[in-house]
Amino acid sequence: MMEEKSGNITTRELWARLFQAPAVDAFFQENGDACSLPNFSEYINELCNVRQEKPGTVIKRSNIESSFGHRLFSGTRNPSRDTVLMLAFGFELLPDDTQQILKVARQTPLHPKVKRDAVIAWCLHHHNTVVEAQQILYEHHLPLMGGAKFEA
Amino acid sequence: MKLEDFLIAFENADATSHYPADFLGEYTMMECLSERNGVDTFLVQNQTGQMFIAKCYDVEIWKQTGEKQILSELQSVHLPKQIAVFENENVLVTVREYIDGISLDRYAMENELSSDEITRICIRLCDILEILHHRKNPVIHRDIKPQNIIVKPDGEIALIDFDIARIFRSENDTDTYFFGTVAYAPPEQYGFSQTDTRTDIYSFGVLLRYLLTGSTKENKNIRVYRPLGKIIDKCTAFSPKERFSDISQVRRALVSANPRAQLLKKLKISGVILLMVCLVSFGGRKLYQYITYDPFTDTSIPGALNDKERIQDAVRYMKDKYKTELFDSSLEEHATMGFVRKALMELYGFDKEYVYACQEEGELPEEGEAYFFPWDLDDGQTVRRDTMVYTAVKVHDAKMVADWSDLKDDTGEYPGERVAVAFAEKTGILTGANRPYDITVGEVALILANTDRVFEAAKDS
Repeated sequence: MMEEKSGNITTRELWARLFQAPAVDAFFQENGDACSLPNFSEYINELCNVRQEKPGTVIKRSNIESSFGHRLFSGTRNPSRDTVLMLAFGFELLPDDTQQILKVARQTPLHPKVKRDAVIAWCLHHHNTVVEAQQILYEHHLPLMGGAKFEA
Repeated sequence: MKLEDFLIAFENADATSHYPADFLGEYTMMECLSERNGVDTFLVQNQTGQMFIAKCYDVEIWKQTGEKQILSELQSVHLPKQIAVFENENVLVTVREYIDGISLDRYAMENELSSDEITRICIRLCDILEILHHRKNPVIHRDIKPQNIIVKPDGEIALIDFDIARIFRSENDTDTYFFGTVAYAPPEQYGFSQTDTRTDIYSFGVLLRYLLTGSTKENKNIRVYRPLGKIIDKCTAFSPKERFSDISQVRRALVSANPRAQLLKKLKISGVILLMVCLVSFGGRKLYQYITYDPFTDTSIPGALNDKERIQDAVRYMKDKYKTELFDSSLEEHATMGFVRKALMELYGFDKEYVYACQEEGELPEEGEAYFFPWDLDDGQTVRRDTMVYTAVKVHDAKMVADWSDLKDDTGEYPGERVAVAFAEKTGILTGANRPYDITVGEVALILANTDRVFEAAKDS
């Protein structure tokens, strides 16, 4: 899907132009069956272990309501795409890792044709916090993550 | 890189800038759901925050699709409504209703679907396909697969993506191009012949197999519930002629293949068989009784007794039944007509006037006369056995001993007594009453008790 052409430009070329470095190659080369994807809650718990983070810290940095965040970690709730993106900020992921976590959550990846996705990818690439990212979306009249009104 | 530079780069590289300006002004793109065959599908949001699906077609591709026409013609809660269309020289954008829910493939992945649940979903899909196929000009979806079926939060389903759907025109021989998803596409969709509604039936069969086995290909190692396996085989037959010819047939097959329906069917058949067995045995028994019924044969009278014991048994019976003291006197004494009349009044409640009345001397008795005995009998005279038998039978069935029309004998005399005696001989009422004249009190009790038993037994049967 990601190799589809839009006019004369491939999606990969679009990303490359945007970031001047093919940081998302690893994601694009993974074409495994969706059935082989790990369970989302197991994945984020494992991510906590690898990064030596506590779920509570990640949830706080994600600006997600605490009890809902813990339900995501326990697997009793499934996240929306925006929630996954906010968690990506909580984990301080780079765009390629964000594509992976979106894939695990069975959500569509960030796409360079979508301006909002492009801005979010830029913010992740520059290690912005979720609040800073929301500020930037707000300034560019783009819908905020989680559908909430922006509060600085 | 600064954000501003980045956005300039985005604007320069933006592959959506050639989309209709009024579309981009009205909607914000939220997600790219797919890019395929010159069609980009986006989740978009309007200014009030409401979500929609936007399909952006390369105009050349658009000419080959039927979605706009099909969706604008079809109205159903199970199909997405078309909201708006935007167009410029390069791209045509259709905006349609966003159906909240998750795709069937994801739903199947996240939930372990039982055969029951799969059957329910497939029956709902048949309902939707019936709407499409049963139009005057049937619509063939041509891309039935789990990704194009949305399971709504309330469990209902909707069919999406009419990109490659077409309206069936019988004059067309073949489809020029291959469209669709390889695993779900039937042979004719590769261009062998024109696709018709049986194309969707083939894909439906593959979908059913996928839901039941997790694979679109036949896997003999995975056992499928046999009635559903038969439906899959018939749906996916290579030749369209060997498939179900109509989606309604598939629906009916699914309804009856449902394990519960099968169980119900088996129960119904068992019930009908059981009912038939009951009816035959009950009817047979009744028929046997009807054929063999003879009121003149009865076994209700005790057999293995001597005469004395029979009399004692009869007295006990009469005492128990009528709570009478009539038989407390010596059973060996000769009974009189007075005693018999007393018994008629006390035991059976006949009026004194009725049991004492008699017809005029020399007259023959007539039907409806108001007397019990047709003979002039004194209270003091002893009792003949046959008279007693006549009495006992008349107590229970006066009509039997008063059939005036048919039973008169050659002499023209009143035949009631002989009828009663014949009946008594047939039914065993006379068992133990051997004395023809001057019968005893005990024998009176015996004849009355035997007659009672015979009539009660006849009533029960």
